[in-house]
Amino acid sequence: MQVTRTFKQAFLEQMLLGFRVTDVSSKRMSFQEKKSVIKLSADVALAVARGSRKWTRGLIANLSMEQQKRQLPRMILVKQYERLMKPCGSTSWKIPRSKKILRKCLRVSSTRRKKKLCAVEKRRRVLRRLVPGGESLSGFSLLDETLDYVLSLRAQVCLMQSLLMTCEASKRR
Amino acid sequence: MGPARCSGVGSGNSGAYTTEIAESLRFEEEIHSIVHPSLDSSPAAGGSFTALLGLPANQAVELLHETGPSEAPGSAAAPSPTGELWRLRLGEHAAGPLHLPLGCSPTFPSNAALVERAARFSVFAAEDSPALSSGGGPSPRLKAEPLDSDSPPLLPIPTEKTQRPAKRKECEKSKAKGPAKKSKSAEENTAAAAKETAAENTDGEKLPYVHVRARRGQATDSHSLAERARREKINARMKLLQELVPGCSKITGTALVLDEIINHVQSLQRQVEFLSMRLAAVNPRIDFGGLDSFLSAECGPLATANGRGGVALDPALWSSHPVTANGARWLPQPQIRHVDVWPTQQSSTAWTRDGPAHPHALLNPGASLVGYDPASSVLLNSNQLKTEL
Repeated sequence: MQVTRTFKQAFLEQMLLGFRVTDVSSKRMSFQEKKSVIKLSADVALAVARGSRKWTRGLIANLSMEQQKRQLPRMILVKQYERLMKPCGSTSWKIPRSKKILRKCLRVSSTRRKKKLCAVEKRRRVLRRLVPGGESLSGFSLLDETLDYVLSLRAQVCLMQSLLMTCEASKRR
Repeated sequence: MGPARCSGVGSGNSGAYTTEIAESLRFEEEIHSIVHPSLDSSPAAGGSFTALLGLPANQAVELLHETGPSEAPGSAAAPSPTGELWRLRLGEHAAGPLHLPLGCSPTFPSNAALVERAARFSVFAAEDSPALSSGGGPSPRLKAEPLDSDSPPLLPIPTEKTQRPAKRKECEKSKAKGPAKKSKSAEENTAAAAKETAAENTDGEKLPYVHVRARRGQATDSHSLAERARREKINARMKLLQELVPGCSKITGTALVLDEIINHVQSLQRQVEFLSMRLAAVNPRIDFGGLDSFLSAECGPLATANGRGGVALDPALWSSHPVTANGARWLPQPQIRHVDVWPTQQSSTAWTRDGPAHPHALLNPGASLVGYDPASSVLLNSNQLKTEL
């Protein structure tokens, strides 16, 4: 339903663009480097193709934090997307602090349902760590972003598989 | 979906009764489906409750049948109050629409006995079924007093009570607070007896704002209402996630469902990493110029099959393409044969478990696909691919 043709096209275009920019076809890079570059390219492509959502912004933020030098060529391409992200990104960082404080208060005050909350809360915490940008989300928005993220991940896996098959099939000839 | 249908019915004439009856039956099914999972007090009470639910619905249907052929204006008026009742109004009396059947249907007093029986059965009971079947001791008496004063407007009540599933725990609470509400006006009581949660309205359509009618004995402050709406939203999202993640629909309990979701997300992330590793192994040979449109066309039916679809349609498609001289671009074919090469989930789990040892075995189906095509055309296409380098 969400995996439209435009999404797939945008993803593949961005990924191939990333390949070209980082010059992955060259022989100079090591295997590990190539792998990380391809993964980076795939993640950026996913975020760009999906548009502006909380997890996409978190994803790009994480990626740009991890590899500063590698991200620069990518940032040049994604500049227009970054401009979309910037105004929303700064405001969302103030929210997690207040939400965390609220959550702590709620946890302290609710003693009756403590046991039930613990089991679910632990899993919610794990989910928050898994979903990019999920630290600031809670409750409904967490589930919403998870839903979107799962759908996009599935599409990413499918597209990468098709890309791989094409490469391998043509390589065999 | 509910309000839209009801208001449509209200605008019709007596011929719309069949739709109303069908609607009440449909709502009964909805109630059954909702009541069964939402029951946590006791399964026995739940069984009796749903059995009881069947009766008022039938009685409501009977009542509607009786009033139907007798008078047309009354029949036209009766659906409209129920239609209006679907629209929730904060703190507003439902006395207005309920007065219409008062004036138009003189057959109501004759149905008082029926109505009382319906009222008795429609008491949402935490009590066991024997207590209810014995006449329900104090509980019908609780309801008898307010009911006697307003038997006429009770026609919509049985339909209301069957059509408004509400939450069982809160219904039990409301029953306990029944006598406290005797002081209020009769109309308000009957109006307050049915609680329309935001779930039925906001699940399908988006109302500009949610009108909520307070339940009998339930707090009407905005906090609890907002909390309830929030909880409904979260439950709806959880259901969606359950449908999305394979094998999650049978699991009950938030923690286990979240477990499955977490596992699924982790497996997908691992798949991405593994695929990028394989792409790194393969990639340096090929640079794709015009293949993206081709690939997107190919991936159309595959991605819609919940990511389960197979991948390698390319050789089959290549053979069907006209071999162009320039070879720079391939026009995506309008008809795409949807072939499952292998279910990606199986293969991916094998990958994640066994690492690079398996891909060779898994590649054989892909290789066999390639073998189906006439070798010459495929060779030509791959040569065209390489010329783009």
